[in-house]
Amino acid sequence: MEFVDEIIETGGPILGTEHIESLRVCMQCGKCTGGCPSGRLTAIRTRKLVLEALLNMRDEVLSSDELWLCTTCYTCYERCPRNVKVTDITRTIRNIAAKEGYLALSHRMASSYVVKTGHAVPINDANKENRKKLGLPEVPPTTHTYKEALQGIQSLVKKTGFDELIGFDWETMNLKE
Amino acid sequence: MKIGVYVCHCGINIAATVDVKAVAEYAKTLPNVVVAKDYVFMCSDPGQDMIKEDIEELGLDRVVVASCSPRMHEPTFRKAVQTKGMNAFLFEQANIREHCSWVHEDREKATEKAKALVSAAVAKATLLKPLEVMEADVEPSALVIGGGIAGIHAAIDSANAGYKTYLLERDPSIGGHVAEMCKIFPKMNRAACLLVPKMTEVLTHPNITVLSYSELLDVGGFIGNFDVKIRKKPRYVDPEKCTACGECAKVCPVKTDDGKAAIDMPYPFAVPRTYTINPELCLRFQGEDCTKCKDVCPEGAVDFEEKEVEEEIRIGTIVVATGYDEFDASLKPELRYDMYDNVITGVEFEKILLEAEKTGELKVNGKEPKDVIFIQCVGSRDKNVGNEYCSRVCCMYTAKQATMVKDLVPDSNVTVCYIDVRAYGRGYEQFYENAQKKGVRYWRGNAAEVYKDNGKLVVRAENTMLGDPKELSADLVVLATGMTPKSDARDLGNLLKVPQSADRFFLEAHPKLGPVNTASDGVYIAGTCQGPKDIADSISQASGAVMKALIPLCQGKVLIEPITSVVNEEICSGCRMCEKICVYDAPTFDEERGVMTINSVVCKGCGSCGATCPSGAISMNHFRDQQIFAQINMLST
Repeated sequence: MEFVDEIIETGGPILGTEHIESLRVCMQCGKCTGGCPSGRLTAIRTRKLVLEALLNMRDEVLSSDELWLCTTCYTCYERCPRNVKVTDITRTIRNIAAKEGYLALSHRMASSYVVKTGHAVPINDANKENRKKLGLPEVPPTTHTYKEALQGIQSLVKKTGFDELIGFDWETMNLKE
Repeated sequence: MKIGVYVCHCGINIAATVDVKAVAEYAKTLPNVVVAKDYVFMCSDPGQDMIKEDIEELGLDRVVVASCSPRMHEPTFRKAVQTKGMNAFLFEQANIREHCSWVHEDREKATEKAKALVSAAVAKATLLKPLEVMEADVEPSALVIGGGIAGIHAAIDSANAGYKTYLLERDPSIGGHVAEMCKIFPKMNRAACLLVPKMTEVLTHPNITVLSYSELLDVGGFIGNFDVKIRKKPRYVDPEKCTACGECAKVCPVKTDDGKAAIDMPYPFAVPRTYTINPELCLRFQGEDCTKCKDVCPEGAVDFEEKEVEEEIRIGTIVVATGYDEFDASLKPELRYDMYDNVITGVEFEKILLEAEKTGELKVNGKEPKDVIFIQCVGSRDKNVGNEYCSRVCCMYTAKQATMVKDLVPDSNVTVCYIDVRAYGRGYEQFYENAQKKGVRYWRGNAAEVYKDNGKLVVRAENTMLGDPKELSADLVVLATGMTPKSDARDLGNLLKVPQSADRFFLEAHPKLGPVNTASDGVYIAGTCQGPKDIADSISQASGAVMKALIPLCQGKVLIEPITSVVNEEICSGCRMCEKICVYDAPTFDEERGVMTINSVVCKGCGSCGATCPSGAISMNHFRDQQIFAQINMLST
């Protein structure tokens, strides 16, 4: 199967086939790369990722470190003159990459916090202080307050195989080597 | 003699660089000048009124305006002096804008130059002689050369306007390239659906005479009165008798590779609906005694003895719509068009697609192609083959063909190698996007070469977006060949006195202000003979050209500028040098008197004959030697 079709088949059922199929009409204008806030500081070149996907360069795309440098800020998505749903396509490609074992360490780390705390970014002292200033309770009404809800999340993680996907070790409650 | 001089400011166009008041003051000092004034816009009504009043009150008999180029406002001022009874040719214009203020910065020097130009104009004006504009009647008919999509539409427009129109086509049928196309972008209409109703209209229109299978031999005369000589080639079939039943083609022993008999019609909807014998194929014309078609014809239409006929027609104006040739792909040897039968041109693929539309199956050399690569810009944007220009249609016809491949063979891999995608027309960008939606892959990079590896075609092309050359495998390569000028455009151009541009297409009078006019009065151009363009643009231009061509026919008379050459018969030795140099055939030799005479309606006043004449017998009205020397004298003192 062509990589383009694989992306559409993967992302289509979740985000809509037409939505992901917009990938095909990219005209390589570079609006995305030019305006990418992450790309100013990192190596991500959005246009090139889209091109490689279109040219069936599956291995290159899936194994690239750049794929994980998108912050999903949706700037490219909003600006694309051909309405290519770039960010959602990037997320779809990441899903395929993750299944192939290419999930980046930083993303695995963030995921492990979800398993451990129910939050990709758990509360810390600085945020507690900020919340107090804004007149909010120091701890949000999430798994941080309702510890019993964490069990629900963890059983979801097990049921969906998310633990396997990120390589989570339940004994050490940390990522596997 | 009383000369009035008027110096124009042209707003600040002249006044910002030239001291116009000083120029006017200076003009007053010139011999014969009785009045000199400056004004902000001489071409405006108050400016013209100033001249008219002075003619009346001061009795001026010459007027000089120092302003813009005569190309701009000479007609304006000629008309103005004429209203007061002055001969229009006693007006002279000094160009102190294009020739002075616009090209200089130093105010002092520019003012001195303007003074010099004015003094030269005054010197010439002193020697000007009145001339009379000539009038000629106009034959109320038009000739359209070329029966393609542009010519067909031109003929219909002209005929609908009520004028007798001749449509000249050298092939057996009108229809041109479009007759052999499959579908037309961007609406995907069938080409035949666009064309056939118009071809029928041509055939049945009471004002149109179709001169098919005929060639232009010669064009004489001038605007309003062209004498056109036509050669009708023998069809060896009488179109009046032929019912196009096709029995003849069935019995014809000759069959070409593309299934044509020696007696055949180019396509079923040919106009005129008649069979034609191709003497290059027919056995009878190769010395064999075959009469099969003649024997079977129920109407007795076949006539092997038919001879070519020459005909002369008087024509008012001419629209040239002779179209283009397809670029010869074998001139790009690296693309191996001559070597592999699965490397074909876009035009060839068009015929294959036409067949595939009928059968629902795409077959190239008997096989359904799976990996199809289109290569764009073959013979366009390529100085190497002498074609610097973009052919303007290949991006879109490739997008169309690529889309059709995806429709006919959904699991095919279709790649388009391109330099830029130029989708400029209405609906074209959407059409290109739609091709991508259908899964056509666009590969930015000019294909460098085509070769074979293990029996399969390989296209080697850099992807300039990736920065890497790659080898792409294909079982069909389609070359998007562009348009080139007709190989014999120069011959036709010589007959009609229509020059070619550097790109060898016919040259318009002005790219913006005269896009369908030519240097030859009464001859207009439309469609791809003027430059590559698509069907929509060709038809628009055809309508525009006809509009221009009908103006003299509507007016019924043409005015002929008297700025022509004149022969001093007492000096002329009849050496006939002028006859050889003149491109308009204006000088003819008077055998009886042994001198040259000039046909002044044909003469354009270019001056070539005058410059060539070894005895100085020829001079140009309005540009006589004394007049020019007077100008030069003033400039050199």
